Amino acid sequence: MEPLLLKLSLASYLVATFAGAWSLVRPDGLAWRTATGALIVGFLAQAGALADRSMHVGTIAVTGFSEQVAFFALLLAGVYLVTQVWLRLAVLGAVVGPIGVIGVIAALVDHGGAPNLPPELRSPWLLVHVSLAYLGNAAFALACVVSLVYLWEERQLKAHHVGDFVWRLPSLERLDNVNFKFLTWGFVLLTLSIVTGVLWAELYFGRFWSWEPRTIWTTIIWMIYAILLHGRVTVGWGGRRAAALTIVGFGVLFVAFIGVSILAPGQHADAFG
Amino acid sequence: MSNRDGAIVRPLRARGVRERDLEIWVIGLNHRTCPIELREKLAIPEVEVGDVAQRAIGHLPLNEAVVLSTCNRVELVGVSARGADVVEAVTAFLAEDRSLPPATLAEHRYVHRGRQAVQHLFRVASSLDSMVVGEPQILGQLKEQYRRAVEKSASARVLQRCFESSFRVAKRVRTETGVATKAVSVSSAAVDLAQRIFDDLGDKTAMLIGAGKMSELAARHLLGAGVANVIVTNRSFDRAVQLARGFGGTPVPFDQFPHYLHLADVVLGSVTATAGYVLGPSHLHEVLRARRRRPMFFIDLGMPRNFDPAINDLQSVYVYNIDDLSRVADDHRAEREKEAERAEEIVRAEAETFWRMLAASDVTPTIVALRGKLDAIRRAELERALASLATVGPDERRVLEAMTQSIVNKILHPPTTTLKQLAFDEEGRDAAEMAEVLHRLFALETTSDDEPDGG
Repeated sequence: MEPLLLKLSLASYLVATFAGAWSLVRPDGLAWRTATGALIVGFLAQAGALADRSMHVGTIAVTGFSEQVAFFALLLAGVYLVTQVWLRLAVLGAVVGPIGVIGVIAALVDHGGAPNLPPELRSPWLLVHVSLAYLGNAAFALACVVSLVYLWEERQLKAHHVGDFVWRLPSLERLDNVNFKFLTWGFVLLTLSIVTGVLWAELYFGRFWSWEPRTIWTTIIWMIYAILLHGRVTVGWGGRRAAALTIVGFGVLFVAFIGVSILAPGQHADAFG
Repeated sequence: MSNRDGAIVRPLRARGVRERDLEIWVIGLNHRTCPIELREKLAIPEVEVGDVAQRAIGHLPLNEAVVLSTCNRVELVGVSARGADVVEAVTAFLAEDRSLPPATLAEHRYVHRGRQAVQHLFRVASSLDSMVVGEPQILGQLKEQYRRAVEKSASARVLQRCFESSFRVAKRVRTETGVATKAVSVSSAAVDLAQRIFDDLGDKTAMLIGAGKMSELAARHLLGAGVANVIVTNRSFDRAVQLARGFGGTPVPFDQFPHYLHLADVVLGSVTATAGYVLGPSHLHEVLRARRRRPMFFIDLGMPRNFDPAINDLQSVYVYNIDDLSRVADDHRAEREKEAERAEEIVRAEAETFWRMLAASDVTPTIVALRGKLDAIRRAELERALASLATVGPDERRVLEAMTQSIVNKILHPPTTTLKQLAFDEEGRDAAEMAEVLHRLFALETTSDDEPDGG
């Protein structure tokens, strides 16, 4: 069941990728509807595959590096689809499709290390902790894309280069507001994932915090976003500065995730490979 | 007005007219064929177009008429009997109605007939024949003036089909092409740009520095796009008060306006005869801090320029002058022209489809009558043959039914297809003759009241 669902999901994400790119060139509604429809199918199929696999493993299957990439792609698609209901930012969709493709390919080629998962980690806490963390990552990723679009559009408007494409983008103010929304949600989710991690560690291992690469980096990332949001609320940081910091924040998050997963040891690494 | 062709019209009307006996005309002039001085004199006030249309069918050999009159065109769309030459009569009518000599009008007029007339009407409705291609007012004017003709019973079945199709085609052009989407004037380009920067203009404030015509126009566009508040300042305070009253805005004295600048999201400058810039970067540091760096959009309509271009380098500040705005408007115009080609394609195809339907409905009664006649003969002869046979089982009966049916179908096939083809080609002239011939050769009865619609 799982491989079949993954293949269906892969095909759907591919369709979404091409339709998404097409909707940027010709925004006539049909391309956008196709992309959104394909993303919904891809999301559901991938979620089905994950559920199927989790049933086999006995806990949520997000333990190997490639499984985490796939999980991230899944939640990204989910967050995007939910926010489309009121945000209607088709530009983002063009990014979600390709990441879905990468995620599903990762899941297809490598099934990660779940069977070696220590029994004490097979707990509902895992599902909650990891889901919150990756929902937060998905929100930060979308904030990053919104910020990239913002910087590009802002530069065009400043330089009086108002080409075709600029007219298809949302206004600067709207991009700025959406960025803030994603950042806020990302920050809340990241904070909650840290809290659940601490509680879990305290309750089950009697030690609420362990200094290891992943927790250190998470703390750094949490602080970057905290500063960004603080500046926004108190001094009114917005526009270019907020967009640039959002991109830096996600850059650190991305590099840290890849780096820690591949290179660094620690309790998270023991468990999640 | 002369009534010289009336004799031709009455008998046609009396025996119930079919589309194949009719001709559709568009006779008129527009901004391309006629200078404004003459258009002004010919223009008919909107309240009168219904009466003029009514007079037209009273005095001219026309069964139906709709008169269109906007600042860019005066046209009569009419339906006459086929073969009637109404061009000179209509020209004279339009000229005399406005007390002008017919000859002046004849020089500038155009005449479209049949399929061309339909296509022209579709182009007008779709705003492809407008001075500013894609301008949205024409469709509303067309609907209103058509309605007035209907009110006076000047428009009937044929023009109803034409006009209603033209409204549908116009809507299709608007939704399927970008011909009417973007601003092509400087002041509307300013509004479009404001909407690139701000999400919702409904909670935004515009400040007018200087009360020039251009900035007044741009301010009207901004208000139309939803801008909530307007602050007006001007060297002559009286003029500021007067303009502010017109907008429901707030006037402020010219030497005080920098104190209010932080309230403004959009700033329009049109101060004339100024020594140096009205605003430079140094004036704005405090303002931007007070605004917590929320974006500001400066529209410089002044000549010489009112705003130091260096302002554009400040964070979250955008300055566009007249040249920048006209470049945006020009881009849009170029794009509209590209879209207009697609729109023309749609109009051509729609006019062809419409014509095909109209033409088919021209010959349909003939085809129906012919088929009815042959089928009646077939059934009568079949019954006679069956009666004269001693023993006919159900099988034999079915075979004979099928055979006679097939004979009739095979005989009917060539005339049917030929007639439909001819109805479409050559604007149906040959088809009308052919139908007449068929009616006489087969002694068909004309039933004009129960024609099916379409083909």
